[in-house]
Amino acid sequence: MPAHSLDPNKWVDRYSDYLFNYTIVRVNNREVANDLISETFLAALKSAKYFKGEASERTWLISILKRKIIDYYRKINSRKGKAEVKINYSDDYNEGEWLEEQVADQFDRTAEDEMENNELGLAILECLDSINEKHAEIFKRKTIDGADTEAICNEFNITPSNLWVIIHRARTALAACLEKNWF
Amino acid sequence: MSEKSKFFLIDCSKAADCCNKAQYEEANFMDKAKLYLHLAFCKTCRKFSEKNSRLTKLLHKSKIETCPEEKKQQWREEIKKEYAEERS
Repeated sequence: MPAHSLDPNKWVDRYSDYLFNYTIVRVNNREVANDLISETFLAALKSAKYFKGEASERTWLISILKRKIIDYYRKINSRKGKAEVKINYSDDYNEGEWLEEQVADQFDRTAEDEMENNELGLAILECLDSINEKHAEIFKRKTIDGADTEAICNEFNITPSNLWVIIHRARTALAACLEKNWF
Repeated sequence: MSEKSKFFLIDCSKAADCCNKAQYEEANFMDKAKLYLHLAFCKTCRKFSEKNSRLTKLLHKSKIETCPEEKKQQWREEIKKEYAEERS
């Protein structure tokens, strides 16, 4: 029996947040990200028969999503025509100084930071996989969506003290998991 | 010990509870006062509290988002429909 099997009806609950966070930092557009995820799910269903069970469901879905993201960039690039390299002279006086302009600003680490934070986000979501699904859901509603305690209690039909016990367990498990996998 | 001073003393599980609420800005002034008093003499809870605040910072830094429920519902339906067709 293969180590992993597919359960498409659980895909959205289990992986959609992960796939979304993976995509958004790469395409930087919500609409596009949502479309790519939708396409990924459908493509995954179509090729489900080729899933050998060697990788986990998530790894497999991500490999499909990666192709979709690459296809997306190919498409918009061919629409724009060939990639062109532009050299900007800021003005006539500074002509010839463009080389210096092109040097990467070592203090500008925004892109890398962003990528690292995104990886951290994915590590957090991955860690949440290991706790009870319902508890992970409640933790996400409270911590990521910032929903009110009362609203969550109504939604899941639990008392505030239940909620805080669940949050406590989730946070403890998450801290332990991150300590192992992130630091 | 007087009743009044007992009121300020909390055990570790209550301290953890206050600490968790504080991560979500849901601890009131009294909760925080009791928590800090407890932390003053409980090393285990000090460690827990440090870890807990660090986790809050990480969660904030990661900027994770969840997909809106309507979108998820739409995907669930798409998958369900397609899956049924694939199997038939």
